[in-house]
Amino acid sequence: MVKGIEKTRGFLENIMESIPSTILVVDKVLGIVYANPHYYRVSRQRPKDVLGKDIREVLPAPTIKRMDLDKKIREAIDTGRSFEVGHAPGDRLGTFYFYRVRPLTDGRGGNVSGAVILVEDVTELTRLEEEVKESYMKSDFISAASHGLRTPLTVISNYLALMQMGKIRDPEEQKETIKTLISQTNHMIDLVDDMLDISRIESKKFSIETKKVSIEKIAKDSVEKVKILADLREHTISLKIPRGLPKINVDEKRINDVFTNLLTNAIRYTPKKGKIIVSITDKGEHIRCTVADTGIGIPKKEQEKIFERFYVSGGRLSKGAPDRVGLGLCIAKGIVEVHGGKIWVESRVGKGSTFYFTLPKNVKEQTEQTTST
Amino acid sequence: MKILVVDDDKDIQKMFKDILEKCGGYQVTQADDGKGALIEYQESKPDIVLMDILMPHVDGIESTKKILKQDKNAKIVVVTAAGKPGLEEMCIEAGAKMFIKKPFKINYLLDVIQKVSRGVV
Repeated sequence: MVKGIEKTRGFLENIMESIPSTILVVDKVLGIVYANPHYYRVSRQRPKDVLGKDIREVLPAPTIKRMDLDKKIREAIDTGRSFEVGHAPGDRLGTFYFYRVRPLTDGRGGNVSGAVILVEDVTELTRLEEEVKESYMKSDFISAASHGLRTPLTVISNYLALMQMGKIRDPEEQKETIKTLISQTNHMIDLVDDMLDISRIESKKFSIETKKVSIEKIAKDSVEKVKILADLREHTISLKIPRGLPKINVDEKRINDVFTNLLTNAIRYTPKKGKIIVSITDKGEHIRCTVADTGIGIPKKEQEKIFERFYVSGGRLSKGAPDRVGLGLCIAKGIVEVHGGKIWVESRVGKGSTFYFTLPKNVKEQTEQTTST
Repeated sequence: MKILVVDDDKDIQKMFKDILEKCGGYQVTQADDGKGALIEYQESKPDIVLMDILMPHVDGIESTKKILKQDKNAKIVVVTAAGKPGLEEMCIEAGAKMFIKKPFKINYLLDVIQKVSRGVV
């Protein structure tokens, strides 16, 4: 009988010895009553430093604090409910741990006498997850780029073939064809530029060149730039800009890109003969710019997503506009944020959308600034 | 033979017109979206429809179904840049005879039109 018990104990000890994860058992007041051999191996602590000690003294304080581990263990003991908390950065640089906590019952009446804590090193798993995410993002990028390039490539390659076949002889027709070729080539250039911007924004290498300029001038230039497009759809664009706005340090070309993007969207998503209002307000510490339209509006659930890359309102790609792949607002967000500002939208379906962005007045004069996001 | 080109991109419309008229000697009519396609189909009774997928209002798949509801013998060929997985099957299920992915070569387009008009596919 005793032999049998010893044999079983030896067997269990062998199992505990070979488990490649940490197991800790605490009592009701969080005192450690057991730690498995793996724990001693990785922590390089000895039983006398661990057993009987409060878990808060044994596990590194940042680990406990970051996940509220002590409170959660106590809660598991009080309520009898398990919990899991994962991917917490470890104390060694680059390590990640996953914690599973189960209440420990005494086996008779089911009274909770403590908790079992299983700690797994998930560094490799986390790294693999990151890799998979990155590869998905890359394939997302490649598929959007290839989609955006397909239409202009079709037009360019087929017109070149028609010219080579001698099918376009009339000088007027040749002129028209060259115009089309240039416009489609420009679409491709814009797309490649946008892709590069996005990749710089995402890799935090997006830089701006700032100088003191008038936001009013940038807004007016942008309105001028989209005028033909607005006229085509018979929209009216008006400006509401107070006198005496201070000049602020921004990247003129980039802020022009933001205004142009917001205006182009307003034109595109507003039924014919709509009203678009551009206004600028001095808000003390920052200048607030708005572009409001009387367009189709954006459903609530889409309002945050529209700033994500490749997102196109309505959930599908539309054509006939320069931004065919849904990068414009994502770039606009990157530009505003690198200036230290914020961008957001307020919208009601069927009523219209108002896009806001802020530019702080105190952006230090500098020639180059890198994203902080 | 008459071909209806349905695409919201003016450059693509013009390109199809030039290719089909100059290389195939076909007569070409046009529509900007799925809604216009239905009206134009009724009016011009084309032999073949070249249909884009991503269009405002009524998309190409919806439009294909609607035209086929009106005329079950309509011969519709989908031409698209979208590479979404399963899209080709969706188009064929909707009743399209063929699926052409952009970019394509002129000879390939003419070959498809020939085959579809002869009822080979």
